Amino acid sequence: MAQKEAGKRKPELALAEVVAKYPGFPRLIALKIDVQRRGVHYTERALAAVDYTIHQMRSPYLFGSRDGQIKDLPESLLLRDGTTILTDPTPLDQNPYHVDLIDGKFALVDKGEFVEFTDLWPKPLYYDKKTSTGIPMSHIASARPQRLNVFQSSYCHFWAEDQGCKFCDIVTHTKQQKNEKGVPTRLKPSDISETIREALKEPGRFTNICLTSGSVLKGKELFDQEVDFYIETLQAIGENFTTKKFPSQLISSSFNEKQLARLYENSGLMSYTSDLEVLNEDVFNWVCPGKASKLGYQEWKNRLVRAVDIFGRGNVGTGLVSGSELAQPHGFKSESDALKATLEEAEYLAERGVTTVYIVWVPRPGSYFHDQQNASLEYYVQKAQGLHDLRVKYKLGVDFDDYRRCGNHPDSDLSRLL
Amino acid sequence: MGTPLTQELLTLLADGATTKVLATIDENGSPHAVAGVPLHAGDTGNLLYSEYFESSATSKNLTRSIWFDGIVAITLSNAGQSFQIKGRPLKNHITGPLFLKLYQEIRAIQGNVNLAAVWEIEPLEIIDESLDTRRKYEDTKRPFFTHLDRIAR
Repeated sequence: MAQKEAGKRKPELALAEVVAKYPGFPRLIALKIDVQRRGVHYTERALAAVDYTIHQMRSPYLFGSRDGQIKDLPESLLLRDGTTILTDPTPLDQNPYHVDLIDGKFALVDKGEFVEFTDLWPKPLYYDKKTSTGIPMSHIASARPQRLNVFQSSYCHFWAEDQGCKFCDIVTHTKQQKNEKGVPTRLKPSDISETIREALKEPGRFTNICLTSGSVLKGKELFDQEVDFYIETLQAIGENFTTKKFPSQLISSSFNEKQLARLYENSGLMSYTSDLEVLNEDVFNWVCPGKASKLGYQEWKNRLVRAVDIFGRGNVGTGLVSGSELAQPHGFKSESDALKATLEEAEYLAERGVTTVYIVWVPRPGSYFHDQQNASLEYYVQKAQGLHDLRVKYKLGVDFDDYRRCGNHPDSDLSRLL
Repeated sequence: MGTPLTQELLTLLADGATTKVLATIDENGSPHAVAGVPLHAGDTGNLLYSEYFESSATSKNLTRSIWFDGIVAITLSNAGQSFQIKGRPLKNHITGPLFLKLYQEIRAIQGNVNLAAVWEIEPLEIIDESLDTRRKYEDTKRPFFTHLDRIAR
């Protein structure tokens, strides 16, 4: 019946049991969640079959991996329904899924049992190129199966004041990436524009461009300089398109109406996301001390609602680092309480045109919460279904952040049916 | 396990004059059939359906089918021949070599159009629905299913 994982987890339902208990929830999405919760280990046999010319290997990212190392391993996985799994290498003592080779095909294996065949992410052609300034283009824009990520600055000013979000390892990882791989911490707009131009030469490869970075607190008003950086970057990217607007997502700090209007009018940006991370004010104050002290939970939330007037219903979102609301000692004491509170707040936002998505929290070695554990598979399944049901109820789209434009939100994977 | 496509079917699939219909079902069991769909045989013995529209009812129904083990029906019809293929959506290619190849091929022929996905459908059962075949079957196997005037002196 119940399964005890990794020696220290409370008894919880395993994948097959959760799938049996929730027959209306797709098994492949439940599998994605479980792989994200537990991570992966690539077997020697699988690694021997990796082809560096066609498979995408790990490239610069904003956050680190569960093993705290930067290794030359496959970037991640795709399931047969087109579902992306963003997951990373995980120490064996944390009970990861294995990626093995079966009948000549990559496969997810759990405790020696076949689970599902999988594909490795295909490498985009521009990954073999360098900018005219000599930087590998993979250091400028990192690829997902259908999306380009641009992390224009990987430093977060909240960290400078020792007020970084407790689940986050952005600065730890940035330093490691810079030291070990020479990845720049600030990108030049000209390098970004050149890289995007090259990426677009591969027909059919990308459907979306996502920008994100650490918070920048400077400026006449809070975050003014961050807005300036994004406009500059978006304008550089926009040079490559014939239309003023292009499918894009910004995940940024919470901007006021004046800043949002400036951003919308002066760039090709089509959607706006600002992450509340956890949907409860008390827990937010503990988990996100920088956000709480500079702006506060209510104002962060209100700004999201106001952004709907500028970007439109279904084009504004907030992201949750799901499971971090259960961190102890100040998080929710039970998954049921956390779920209820989260869905109530998400409904308040959905009524006002803001969509809520979550990522599966991975406690990373470089974060304050490094010794915590994430939530049960059942919790994540219930939450994905709950958030999807809200989108159905309020007829709220999430095209800019779905299984393909993003691929990191189990709840918006379900929105393929909207 | 899949059923291999016969040479007859491969010929029909390759013939531009063949009418191709893809029928799927929605969450309420309501059928949705689309005619003239881009469908051809893939190298692995499966059918490849090129979906132009990510928001289409067919796209959503195929997603539901791959998630919950549903099946679809495909009809191929040309010059008196008609076959129905029951199939299972096996894989949705949204990237990778096959998708990128078909994306370029379709755009080379049709211009600036979009390709959302390539669905790989495993044939499970092939039914000959040609009029002649159906007539022969009823005449020989179901002799009660006729009108008497057809056999009157």
